[in-house]
Amino acid sequence: MLFLELVLCLVAALVSLVGTYLAIVEKDLLKAVVFSALQSTAYAFIYYLLMAPDIALVYIPVAVGLYPLLLVIAIRKCGRFEEV
Amino acid sequence: MGSRLLAALSMCAMALALAYALTVGVFSIYIPIELRPLAKILVTSAYNESTPLFSSMTPEIVTAVVWDYRGIDTFFEVAVFYVAIVATAALFRGIERSAPRTSVGLSTIVRTVTRIVALMIVVVGSAIILHGHLTPGGGFQGGATIAVAVALALVAYGLAKLVEHRIDYETSLKVRSLGLLGLSLSACIALIAALILNTNAYVFQNQPKTYAPIGLPYAVDGVLISGTVLLLNIFDGIAVAAGFALLLILLSQPEDVARERVLSSEGGE
Repeated sequence: MLFLELVLCLVAALVSLVGTYLAIVEKDLLKAVVFSALQSTAYAFIYYLLMAPDIALVYIPVAVGLYPLLLVIAIRKCGRFEEV
Repeated sequence: MGSRLLAALSMCAMALALAYALTVGVFSIYIPIELRPLAKILVTSAYNESTPLFSSMTPEIVTAVVWDYRGIDTFFEVAVFYVAIVATAALFRGIERSAPRTSVGLSTIVRTVTRIVALMIVVVGSAIILHGHLTPGGGFQGGATIAVAVALALVAYGLAKLVEHRIDYETSLKVRSLGLLGLSLSACIALIAALILNTNAYVFQNQPKTYAPIGLPYAVDGVLISGTVLLLNIFDGIAVAAGFALLLILLSQPEDVARERVLSSEGGE
């Protein structure tokens, strides 16, 4: 049972790694926010699997709901594409 | 795109190798079966009716630590959040007087779904707040959840519709101040009672202690309320939800209106 949880943690960690990398290299900032939210979702799963439901409960609304929304508002004010 | 995919794949392979090494290979993972001394103290004292002088009477240990054992720490964490909101409000000064234009919002399907989902989010957030002393959760978690409902309504209906229903700068500021006032009062409630009854008490006191016999009842009519923990959770939830709502309302003002208002409040630059 513990092994299954570790494997699920591993999968979530891999997903978060890909999400983080894509969020960093993406030049379209709106897509970068979506990738960042993907990473946050994976982290929320990890918190839950590591038996920290308090942190998971605060992480889901902030990192998946409010933080991408604030970033999207900021992007709307500042421009969508990153200039090299 | 190809090189990017290759880089992502190689990073995945590295993480896989690291995780394999951590779990089964080089460093054998250590999962403690015995509790550490601090955890033992918390587990035996968080809810223990036989030692009421040392117990916080809160079955949820994280909430017990947050609002009872380390109440002052949490107070300063809350203060950091409010300073951030005050800073945002100062940055957008003058905006509260601007009347928003008519906004159409999104399509009927989105608006109908939002109406249902936002209500459910508010209910779940309230449940998280009110059960904060029994199950994982608490004031900040529930408040942030309720703020997501405001965010959804803001996106689906637009700012003008929210202002029409009095969810605007003024209301959220008032509700937030009310929550803060309640938070301060429930932190000092034992102290106020002690001043009236002429005994000793501490700030953030929950249950009676040795030289401070004033304490809130931890159960009312057989229902566990854990003294001040429930009050602190409720007021913190109200204040956090209103604070996030204030932040979102300020930030979702159109850029040209915001610029005009802020510059005109500088004195006609």
